[in-house]
Amino acid sequence: MVIDGGALGVAAQAMKAQRIGMFAVLLLVLLLLASLHMMSEAVQRSDVLDTWFIPLLLFTVTGLALLVLVVGWSLWRLLRDYRRHISGSHLNLRLVALFVGLSLAPVSVVYLYSLQFLAKGIDGWFDVQVDSAMEDALSLSKVSLDLHKRERLTLTQSLLNSQEDSSVTALMLNLSELRESSGAIEISLLDMQGKGVAVSHQNPEVLVPTPPTEHMMQQISMRKSFVSLVPTLSNQLVVRCLAPDTKSRGLILQAIYPVSESLSGLTTQVQSAYEAYRERAYLRDSIKFSFAFTLSLVLMLGLFAAFWAAFYTSRQLVKPIRDISEGTRAVAQGNYDKQLPLPAAKDELGFLVDSFNEMMRRISQARNQADASRRELQAQHKYLETVLGALSSGVMALDRLEIIQTANPAAEKILQLPIKDYQGRALKSLMENAPYLSPFVKCFDTESGGLLEEQAEVTLRRANGRQILLCQRSSLPSPDIGIVGHVLVFDDVTELVSAQRDAAWGEVARRLAHEIKNPLTPIQLAAERVRRKYLGHMSSEQADVLDRATHTIIQQVEALKMMVNEFSDYARPCRLASKPVLLDKFIREVFDLYEGSNNRIDYRPDAAGVQVELDPVRMRQVLHNLIKNAQEALSGRQGRICLSTRLVRHQTHQKAQIQLVDDGMGFDPELLDRAFEPYMTTKSKGTGLGLAIVKRIISEHGGSVYAENRADGRGAKIVVLLTVHAIIKLAG
Amino acid sequence: MFKSIALISLVLLIGGASASNLLRFNQVVITLGEDDNIYLDALVSYDLTDAVMQALQNGVAVTFETRIRMREVDIWFWRQDAVEHRLRHILRYRALSGLYEVITPESASKQAFATSSAALRYLGRIRDLKLIGRNQLDLGQHYLVRLEAYLDVEALPLPLRVRAYTSPEWSLTVEPWEWRLKP
Repeated sequence: MVIDGGALGVAAQAMKAQRIGMFAVLLLVLLLLASLHMMSEAVQRSDVLDTWFIPLLLFTVTGLALLVLVVGWSLWRLLRDYRRHISGSHLNLRLVALFVGLSLAPVSVVYLYSLQFLAKGIDGWFDVQVDSAMEDALSLSKVSLDLHKRERLTLTQSLLNSQEDSSVTALMLNLSELRESSGAIEISLLDMQGKGVAVSHQNPEVLVPTPPTEHMMQQISMRKSFVSLVPTLSNQLVVRCLAPDTKSRGLILQAIYPVSESLSGLTTQVQSAYEAYRERAYLRDSIKFSFAFTLSLVLMLGLFAAFWAAFYTSRQLVKPIRDISEGTRAVAQGNYDKQLPLPAAKDELGFLVDSFNEMMRRISQARNQADASRRELQAQHKYLETVLGALSSGVMALDRLEIIQTANPAAEKILQLPIKDYQGRALKSLMENAPYLSPFVKCFDTESGGLLEEQAEVTLRRANGRQILLCQRSSLPSPDIGIVGHVLVFDDVTELVSAQRDAAWGEVARRLAHEIKNPLTPIQLAAERVRRKYLGHMSSEQADVLDRATHTIIQQVEALKMMVNEFSDYARPCRLASKPVLLDKFIREVFDLYEGSNNRIDYRPDAAGVQVELDPVRMRQVLHNLIKNAQEALSGRQGRICLSTRLVRHQTHQKAQIQLVDDGMGFDPELLDRAFEPYMTTKSKGTGLGLAIVKRIISEHGGSVYAENRADGRGAKIVVLLTVHAIIKLAG
Repeated sequence: MFKSIALISLVLLIGGASASNLLRFNQVVITLGEDDNIYLDALVSYDLTDAVMQALQNGVAVTFETRIRMREVDIWFWRQDAVEHRLRHILRYRALSGLYEVITPESASKQAFATSSAALRYLGRIRDLKLIGRNQLDLGQHYLVRLEAYLDVEALPLPLRVRAYTSPEWSLTVEPWEWRLKP
């Protein structure tokens, strides 16, 4: 059995490629899951994966795009197969639609509700009461700090006003005292341009006053005091006050007071909480968007992974079914060597594929056996055909209803009928175009009481002569249904019968010649002696009787001698001295012998260049016999003799035809078949051997001769057919 | 600073260099000081969009970065720059004090301003920034000085970052300023 190894190899490669593709997609999905997990971590704990968020986002979007491409490609391939009506694609599409529908519906519901819960959950972080509380806390802190600032500003102004001395030097000397009494971190004197004049700092190393900002100086320039809370590097708050001198000393007193740790800590905490709350409230939509975006990415990953899984799973499920479908199609197309690849899973589908392969193996084996039997049968049939073709006997097979089944070439040759054209038709149908086969058909026709198992001789009367067939019929019995058919065997024994008859006649002629010729000479001599001895001694009356009697005896003996000689000629074995001659020229030479005499003979040659091989002497005898026969037929009648030649196609060969037509009485139809037999004559004179000798000589030349009456009923026609030796193209 | 003799002194008034016109270099001065060092003075003008201003008012800290690079002209790209400085300033609004704070992490300094414009003016001013000593440069070579200034989106809170990357209102950057010089 031939296994479809190439197809199995291709299938194995395809499975390997599919497996690689599956692992690649699984790896991609796992990477995307990891990326999404890290993005989720980044959203929740921004300090850890903060800087990785955007690269992770780009990777995830790219990976998802890749996954979408894979799914899109799978979908395109599926739709392409569906449009091309590739086996299994319809079921595949239905399965994919089912899987996608099953996965899409619950995921969509979960997604929508998750979005809703997410939005509500984030909104739940913010509340009107919380907003109000935060605002109140901040306001309270501000009020508290404002109060503290005002106290400090008042203190600063009172410090400056308490210095009655108009001397700047005295002020500078009192700065340390003022700082210690007020509890300030730094007290400094500035001129009206903001440049430091003197400073007292709790840190003795600080020798330069803290410079005021432009904003502070703008306010001072308008003769207004300035107070502000300023954060330090250590996130502590200090109150910075600038008070212009009201006593026209051109000075500004700057004092920096610490805020108590408790107040500073509390207000800082309130500020931090408030700012964090405000920031979160401001980012509410962004947070929602981030979570929704991440959730959407997760959803898309889940969905497209599910879509891909749907494509892959349905393909794997449908593949064995598709293979079986293609396998059955291959079987329908006559390919019994198809073997399907076994699926990896040993499930019911695997069992089905295995069973299909086993069935295919058995069908293939059975088909191979059938093929072997058919080949053997064909060989036998061919052998039988060869044997039958080699047989010289005609063989024809009929079924039990006598319908022609087959016939060998010899049958066609003997019956001169294309029997293959009659195959499948009744035996009687042979008579439709060949009525002369009626005796043959009737011989085998069981309805008309034809031949059963015995041999019979059937004579067919053809236009060109008689044909004698020796026929035998054999029935083909079957133990189950009786007779299944018949075999007809027949031989053309015309030549054999003719030869036997000729031989018999030859023997008769030889014996006649021998038995008759021997006493003729003594009879003739005796008659002449009696005539010579007694004619002179008798009276005139007696002498006259004797003279007539002996004359009659001698004349008849001569006639008998001539007849015996003809018998001898007929019986004598012939030795031909053949040579190639141009037929027209040869017959012209014979015809010239009759030209000029009043023989009413026409010659119409039409076989120019046709060369035949013949014995000129014997063939001249043939022509003389035929002309003589025609002349005798015309004796006492008006009419002409026409001798003609031409090239004709006889069966499958070209033949040189010599035809002699006369306007005589024609042949007696009853004797027409036997016209060429010895002693067959209707004339008062003659031996009846003329045409028999013609036939004998023509047969010895390998030709044939037949006689028939003219279709118009005016005379007879004799046709001689000779084998063409060559056709020479004559000049002119 | 000692910059009495300026071998190379460039005073450029640049207007409308930014794509959005919100950030631009108003002045860039590169000088060679008496101590044979190269110094940079620059004024970067910052105008904030409404979205950025709103985020600032709602407590979101906004980080600006000015990047200064100096490298040989026609040098392979993988070769290290002769000079690379990143000046980062964090601007935030304190609700309690009502002040705008500018924090400079590099120098661990913190300045408070009553108005945002004052704070932006402060953070846009680069004074006497020492780029490199002249003796550290190849005197036969031309150098390309490149200045960039932009709002650092990566420093924004994570939920705001995706929107900042996709919104033109958050795309605050200045067209890079470049100048070829030979020390």
